[in-house]
Amino acid sequence: MHKYAVEFKGTRDGLTIFCLEDAAFDDILADLAERLKERSAFFGEAAVKVDVGRRELSEEEKEALVDVITRYSHLRITEIQSGEERSPAVRATRRQREREELNLDGFQEGHCLVIKRTLRSGQYIRFPGTVIVMGDVNPGAEVVADGDIFIFGTLRGIAHAGVGGDRNACVAALRLAPTQLRIADVISRAPDNVSLPDTPEYAYVNDDRILIAAITAR
Amino acid sequence: MGEVIVITSGKGGVGKTTTTANLGVGMALLNKKVALIDADIGLRNLDVVMGLENRIVYDLVDVVEGRCRTRQALIRDKRYENLYLLPAAQTRDKSAVSPEQMRKLCEELKEEFDYVFVDCPAGIEQGFRNAIAGADRAIIVTTPEVSAVRDADRIIGLLEAAGLRGPRLLINRLRPEMVKRGDMLDIDDILEILAIDLIGVVPDDEKIIISTNRGEPVAAQENGSLAGQAYRNIVRRIMGEEVPFLNFYRNRSLLGRLKKLIGFGG
Repeated sequence: MHKYAVEFKGTRDGLTIFCLEDAAFDDILADLAERLKERSAFFGEAAVKVDVGRRELSEEEKEALVDVITRYSHLRITEIQSGEERSPAVRATRRQREREELNLDGFQEGHCLVIKRTLRSGQYIRFPGTVIVMGDVNPGAEVVADGDIFIFGTLRGIAHAGVGGDRNACVAALRLAPTQLRIADVISRAPDNVSLPDTPEYAYVNDDRILIAAITAR
Repeated sequence: MGEVIVITSGKGGVGKTTTTANLGVGMALLNKKVALIDADIGLRNLDVVMGLENRIVYDLVDVVEGRCRTRQALIRDKRYENLYLLPAAQTRDKSAVSPEQMRKLCEELKEEFDYVFVDCPAGIEQGFRNAIAGADRAIIVTTPEVSAVRDADRIIGLLEAAGLRGPRLLINRLRPEMVKRGDMLDIDDILEILAIDLIGVVPDDEKIIISTNRGEPVAAQENGSLAGQAYRNIVRRIMGEEVPFLNFYRNRSLLGRLKKLIGFGG
């Protein structure tokens, strides 16, 4: 059982209220009312999206939701999202939560794509989850994933992890020599004139910048 | 039953046509019956490189459109009676032929010839799709330039997608002295990216340009030209023989070899 029934998250396109998957609708309304009362001044007249998760709301329920928000805050509701329209940022949040629940460093990843060949120039992979390539990613090839990207080979092309906005995503490769690296909304390109690294490395975001670190056996 | 081998590259100007002509001549020298198909409709060159331009009556498009029999369009080479050329049409474009028609044509030629080489046009559009349609194997030509290698990589991916497995790589126009100075990609650099089997390396050679302009492929000239030797070796590798790769980094002068022998390096 969660402490809260809703979560507030600031995303790139403004504030989003997430209704937790396993919370009862009445609890959501109660929790929302209580927390909006506390923070109404803080939020001001910001635009807000409400994400109701996988549940299907009836018209009455939607009205009740809108009613609570407008009564206890000055927030402007722009959208009520549900089911399939969930943004990748939601998935990122869910992953974060799973990580906390499992009390492990890992998390359960719903989707994973394993590619057992080399990706060559002009080949493009887009996948809503984690991508694992057993082979090289050559210059001119592109791997785009909502989750992490692991390459058991040399990355010379472009990798874009956490494309939906998950800055916790990472890109790892046996030899990391990409044309360009992108994680969420952060982009970096390879410095001109670099030689191939000889140890496995991974890239992650820290303070709006992509950093590279060697992967070493602990 | 013969075999159809497409010579392709993606990038233009890396030597597909020259390679096709020389492999054809090399095969003919070994008494194989060979047909060369110029699939570069609208920009035909193979006939010029072979010195057969003035003998063209019918072409590839005439054959697939049924205006003549395949036999009538095949031009026999002026030097080798086992070597034939099916020229491209010059007044049409790539859309004049479909992959299905090419497949049928290749099937027909395989009945009669030991080897059929298809000279593929540059690019990845319809001309490319036509050229690979009937092929059993592919030889990818690249030069030691980053752009050519990049395009070769793209082509390998497209061939894989088309179900043409195990393409072999021909590195053309290598300049050993530039590689030594570190100014040119080495064979290993190229193989590391492309990761396919090498079928041969042809050194850059002025004689190629001279022979191309004269319409007499270098593989025909037994005068010690390294490029000609490289092509003849490639032909034998295509036929399944194990032929050691030429060493371009060896000091070839007698003095140099003597020095090496008595321990002065080389």
